[in-house]
Amino acid sequence: MPKIAGGLDSGPELVDVHQHLWPRALIDALLARTAAPRLTVGDGDGTDGWTLHLPGEPPYAVRAADHDVTARQALEAGTSLALVSLSSPLGIEDLAPDAAAPLLAAWHEGAARLPAPFGAWAAVTRLEPDLAELKDLLAAGFAGLQVPATWLATPAALERLAPVLEVCERAERPVLVHPGPVPARDATDRRNPADLPGWWAAVVDYPAQLQAAWWAWHAAGRTLLPGLRMGFVAGAGLAPAQHERLQARGGSLGPVDAGVFVETSSYGPQAVDALVRALGIDGVVLGSDRPYGLPGDVRPTMGTAAALAIETTNPRRFLQGGTP
Amino acid sequence: MTTSRNPADIDLAALPGRELDRDELVELVRAVAARPELWDKHVRYDDEHRHYVRLHRDAHAEVWLLCWTPSNDTGWHDHDVSAGAVVVVRGAVVEHNLAIGSDCLRTVVPAGHSYSFGPDHIHRMTGEAAGSVTIHAYSPPLWRMGQYAISSTSVLRRTSVSYADELRPTEEPFPDDQARLRDALI
Repeated sequence: MPKIAGGLDSGPELVDVHQHLWPRALIDALLARTAAPRLTVGDGDGTDGWTLHLPGEPPYAVRAADHDVTARQALEAGTSLALVSLSSPLGIEDLAPDAAAPLLAAWHEGAARLPAPFGAWAAVTRLEPDLAELKDLLAAGFAGLQVPATWLATPAALERLAPVLEVCERAERPVLVHPGPVPARDATDRRNPADLPGWWAAVVDYPAQLQAAWWAWHAAGRTLLPGLRMGFVAGAGLAPAQHERLQARGGSLGPVDAGVFVETSSYGPQAVDALVRALGIDGVVLGSDRPYGLPGDVRPTMGTAAALAIETTNPRRFLQGGTP
Repeated sequence: MTTSRNPADIDLAALPGRELDRDELVELVRAVAARPELWDKHVRYDDEHRHYVRLHRDAHAEVWLLCWTPSNDTGWHDHDVSAGAVVVVRGAVVEHNLAIGSDCLRTVVPAGHSYSFGPDHIHRMTGEAAGSVTIHAYSPPLWRMGQYAISSTSVLRRTSVSYADELRPTEEPFPDDQARLRDALI
């Protein structure tokens, strides 16, 4: 795994801050579980693979090739660094600590052994975060910490998480906010039906979680953690574009925070343009969310200088610090 | 124009929380220029890539420091929906404007002078004196811009790109089409 602390090369490079790749040990640990989150053998299509079972989402077919390291490496021919993370919507970090422990151990041990260009985000449990282990993981080369957006749903929740985030601040490593699990749905509950379209969680629940986390950070984060670099995947659910509403309803945006970043996965030129209009070009970083998404290319609509900023210079600043 | 605002209010520390007009943008760049502690530490020069630092951006305005050598050249561009103002703090820069039927206009702007422009403005800036420094303000903040070039059949073209292309061009010297426009008679 590349050592972020040692510094990325200074030349042109492509950095993807948001991918998922499950090490074999994590897959085995999920297969061994009898309660969600868990995997079962077979993806429903008669091919090799697995089915992912979560309380709040329909069964999801997982292709074996999507988590085959060699196959995934082959997709990253032009990538200098691709950071993979534990899939927070699985809810592993929210499990009881003894249930989470073998899964997190499988994640960290497997992720640490991934070959270039892969690097990884560390993870902790919500109930008993091991701050000493987190510090060691960051020192060992993990890029930073990923946290579920559901842990930052309000300013008070963010305050409770501050001791964990402080470990990253002291280590000068960033935090990546990723959607968390969605509540279990009940087929008999008309307010929360189970028969929603397959894209519902990704289009409705995840952006709502990310928007709450963005505004919780705006309200309380920077005051608590003046030096922390924060990144929000999926454009923070386009929360930055809500700033006029903030001002109209008694809030104040203030200067753009050079230590806060949004990532572009599953969005296209219109949303990226909106993010750039709200935040400027310096706060936008490339993320693909592979294997669930593909990296976008802003060159056709924004030009080569914007692409260089989003793919190279901004991710470098997100991961390593510096000023725009 | 008439206005009830207090000019002293137009400063980075107390922006009015709305978009600024051209006069206010001039006041802003002059106020920032008068506070070298905000920008002096960022001054450095590079013949190949203009050196720039963003001093401020909020929902309504953006302020940049730019450092110029005689080799630095923005190419022809506009700022889409943004108005802007420039004050020359050190040295001198050249403001170029396209004109139909005559040579392009060329105006040397020395230290101490400032000017403003609306979103309808098309220009090109080049360094004149070694060691030149300018402060720029835009409102609303920069978003998109137009880059201008002349095709091989002498047709003027505009390409819409991110504002990153004004401050952080990746291709210098200019592509052939822009080179044709630099000294063109239109």
